[in-house]
Amino acid sequence: MQTSTIQKLIFLLVNNDNEFLSGQKLSAELGVSRTAVWKHIEELRKEGYDIEAVARKGYKLLSIPDAITAKEILNNLSTNIFGKDIFFYQVVTSTQKIATEMAMSGAAEGTVIVAEEQTEGRGRLQRKWHTPSGNSVAMSIIIRPRILLSSTPHFTLLVAVSIVKAIKDISTLNPKIKWPNDILINGKKSVGILTELNAEADQINFLIVGIGINVNQVIDDLPKEIQNIATSLAIEDGKKFRRAELIRSILTNLEYFYEKYIKEGFTSIKDIWEKESCTIGENIIAKTSLETIEGRAVGITNDGILLLEDKEGNIHNIISGDIFIDTK
Amino acid sequence: MKFEEIKELVKLINESNINEMKFEKDGTVLSLKKAAEVQHQALPVSQQPVIERQVAPVVAAQAPIIEAEPKQSIEENTYVIKAPMVGTFYRSPSPEQPSYVDLGSKIQPNTTVCLLEAMKLFNEIEAEVSGEIIEIHVQAGQLVEFGQPLFTVKL
Repeated sequence: MQTSTIQKLIFLLVNNDNEFLSGQKLSAELGVSRTAVWKHIEELRKEGYDIEAVARKGYKLLSIPDAITAKEILNNLSTNIFGKDIFFYQVVTSTQKIATEMAMSGAAEGTVIVAEEQTEGRGRLQRKWHTPSGNSVAMSIIIRPRILLSSTPHFTLLVAVSIVKAIKDISTLNPKIKWPNDILINGKKSVGILTELNAEADQINFLIVGIGINVNQVIDDLPKEIQNIATSLAIEDGKKFRRAELIRSILTNLEYFYEKYIKEGFTSIKDIWEKESCTIGENIIAKTSLETIEGRAVGITNDGILLLEDKEGNIHNIISGDIFIDTK
Repeated sequence: MKFEEIKELVKLINESNINEMKFEKDGTVLSLKKAAEVQHQALPVSQQPVIERQVAPVVAAQAPIIEAEPKQSIEENTYVIKAPMVGTFYRSPSPEQPSYVDLGSKIQPNTTVCLLEAMKLFNEIEAEVSGEIIEIHVQAGQLVEFGQPLFTVKL
């Protein structure tokens, strides 16, 4: 990856935020003139970086914006696959749409599309997903796995595991997975994941993993009708998060679990999924478009299918549907 | 669909000039086809009196064939679109939206015919062939197995 001058400048400022860096030093490190340094500093200020400038001392970073631009995410990102190419948009219809178009024109595996705001964010079966500007994350990731088409649903569980670990790495929260991949914090949903497969016959072209996260919303930022079932990381942890750091953590964990999956197979993911799940052992109501099945979740199969045991002791395989955990 | 309704339909078709029809309601697909056509029917009307005696009794022999199984050999130029994975079968992107295709829909290789979902992974199935949808084998919302026939396409 080529690092731009501005990228290097951010790196220097972030890693020396307790001291002043002289224009001369920056100029030497970046290999550009002092005027160019000053211009880049101005550019960063416009993006929300608070940089103090003192004559004869130089520049000092006071605070960085909670931006999710490619520049911000790439700062200190050490992955090889995920995030190699990041495209940031202020407003999009949906990141899934953009990612699909890009993948169709050949975008590489690991390409990330991230947006501040989505006007047509969608969840399962076209249900609305809210991505207000400034406090949430909407992103889509292109994956081109060389696996059997029938194995692709494994990814939905793999992504859930990656995000749970990512949230744990940067917070004190204890997120749990509701089958197959809703992420709940204290029983309320804060992350939604939807995966779309593009294939011709049995040939996988690509997978687009769409992730929507409520990060810094306060309760009143959430639509009234979902306030009792939805939450944000900030509401639950009592502090704001840097969204770029969260995204970096997700990309890093995703890469780890993706490599683990390719090397060791789904059982290695399944074991972790089961540990992080709040579904197994619970009484579940599974609603599909044709029927409602009630039973105890006794486990998942080696393909991730949910197993429900009803009152009569019959085991039902649940492959999709709305899952409600019966807390009675 | 009730047996009485099917009987009624069969009767109506027998009395009509229709040789073949397909009917779908709530996911139940009924395909009716009259038995091999009597050659004479192609003759000009003016000659009808000559063969009248042969035509009249044919009604019984023309009893429609009711097909419950996916048709295989009746029409040679057909293609069966099968499920490439286990999943829930949907005929539209959401319950409120119209179906991707219906019986009689003309399709191209890149026409999306249905949506399969497994564990919140969605796979829009493309036809892969050009033709016309003549049979829909699965009810919306139903679970399909790997390799299960979904649609029959007349090429």
